[in-house]
Amino acid sequence: MNATNAPAAIEVTGMSRRYGRATALEDVSVSFAKDQIHGLLGRNGAGKTTLMSIIAAQDWPTKGEVKVLGHTPHENEQVLPKICFVREDQRYPDDALARHAFRAASAAFAKWDWDYAQRLIADFRVPEKTKLKKMSRGQKSAVAVIIGLASRAEVTFFDEPYMGLDAVARQVFYDRLLEDYAAHPRTVILSSHLIDEIAHLIENVVLIDSGRVILDEPVEALRDRAITLVGRADAVAEMTAGREVLSDETMGRISRTTVLGGLTDHQMKRVQELDLDLQPVSLQQLIVRLTNRHSKNEHRHDVPRDQGEGEK
Amino acid sequence: MTTPTQQSAHTTQAASHDAVRQSTFARVPGAFKLQFSPSVTLISVPIMVFVGVWFLAAGIGAWIHHTAGTRVAAEDPIYTGASQAALWCLVFMAAYAASHTFPFSMALSYSRRTFMLGVLLAFGLVSLSFGAAFSLAAWVEQLTDGFGIHFYTYDLPYITQGDGGIVAGGALAAIVCLVLMLFGFFWAILYRRAGLFGLWIVILGFAVVGLVATMLIFQNDGWPVIWEWLIEQSALSLTGWLVIPTALLALLNYGVIRRATPA
Repeated sequence: MNATNAPAAIEVTGMSRRYGRATALEDVSVSFAKDQIHGLLGRNGAGKTTLMSIIAAQDWPTKGEVKVLGHTPHENEQVLPKICFVREDQRYPDDALARHAFRAASAAFAKWDWDYAQRLIADFRVPEKTKLKKMSRGQKSAVAVIIGLASRAEVTFFDEPYMGLDAVARQVFYDRLLEDYAAHPRTVILSSHLIDEIAHLIENVVLIDSGRVILDEPVEALRDRAITLVGRADAVAEMTAGREVLSDETMGRISRTTVLGGLTDHQMKRVQELDLDLQPVSLQQLIVRLTNRHSKNEHRHDVPRDQGEGEK
Repeated sequence: MTTPTQQSAHTTQAASHDAVRQSTFARVPGAFKLQFSPSVTLISVPIMVFVGVWFLAAGIGAWIHHTAGTRVAAEDPIYTGASQAALWCLVFMAAYAASHTFPFSMALSYSRRTFMLGVLLAFGLVSLSFGAAFSLAAWVEQLTDGFGIHFYTYDLPYITQGDGGIVAGGALAAIVCLVLMLFGFFWAILYRRAGLFGLWIVILGFAVVGLVATMLIFQNDGWPVIWEWLIEQSALSLTGWLVIPTALLALLNYGVIRRATPA
């Protein structure tokens, strides 16, 4: 469903991952276009980390195929040096300081940039003399973010990078990511459940829920997928009749309804005539609603209409 | 330290994918260095234990010599088992490489094979250093007649006093060290791969196999034969024999780590 024609950096085909009886990912087919920033969204436990682990060859699929830059990554030294995935709960040697981790990363990644790493260390105020094990959540996240940015790997994952970062540090991360991405385009996958905060960064959204891809679309297309109408209840009802309602709040005679689908020119005119207020739907609202709808449909053993490619 | 290559990275990036085929072993030196960063685990702590235990043992020896006033040192040398301490320390440090360094190596995108080769080289170097330190310590004890009181921790009859002397003893110490480190690594990586339940199944399996082997040897009156064989061996021939379990353990470890996950 990916509308862009850019070549894929990552291609996952019919991939499932089971741990004993538990299914972490079910028949996932998704591709991540090269040199774009992708948002990998989904609730906790949806399968985001499992998917990233498998793409980065830290784990492997039970079924199906994964190709990164055209190669199967598992045990493949041709492609592995081009992938960087520091886990959100990354384990480091107990006595290691941040500089040990950076030095190790500089040996592992050919494009590692020390000057850039030093600037990031200063920006994020990573303590020099604190062991990684004793660092706060935010400081650990900063170390992971610095490895991800300074390694300049062609395929870079950021696993919930904002965890524990304060507002300033988060902004530093978003700014540095965009700057560096502009100078050194690469494929970036940001996993997150704080959607609005990364909405302006990402070009493409992959949404997974209960181990399935339920959405894979460019952000631009997504924004046109739903609208919110605010105004007199009867007028809103007229415009939303027959459409799939994602949310509906009524206060007295005023109604605020979010429905799927855009408006034709004719409908736009009618909206103006009825004096309705047309509001954009935030990415977060849309994602939350689509996820909820998916869960409900799952519950009914129904198949959602606009599913990801991975679903049958 | 930005290189010109990095400056122009984005322009050449499209071509870089299929450009030069990188050697499969190109990152082995990185994986090797990873084992010594930080250097506490495989360098500082083992050295501290090696030297510390030696002095501690010598101190105890001096105290014994002083207390047992009638002891004629040259006729009644004392041999201790304290040389094992650094070995056991290294066994734990090797297990640590599997439990902590392995998950970090995954974040650095090393293949498991590259990581394992780095581990083998690092453990090999540490074992050789242990062997050299063992020889050196034995030599010091020989020179000083066991600190003048015939108290020996490293210069031991079976190990350093056979054919090949302290050099053969050092070789034996080195290979024993390597086998034990690979053994320690094995249990920790098995835990990563199979979990607690799997680990105990394997431990029980080993116990059963060991028990059956012991019973079979006993039934066939094999113990005297085994003892005789062991007594006939020199430090050098034992070193040679131990190459076999070393190779087997190295392969076994790779087999286990191939499907081990970092979390």
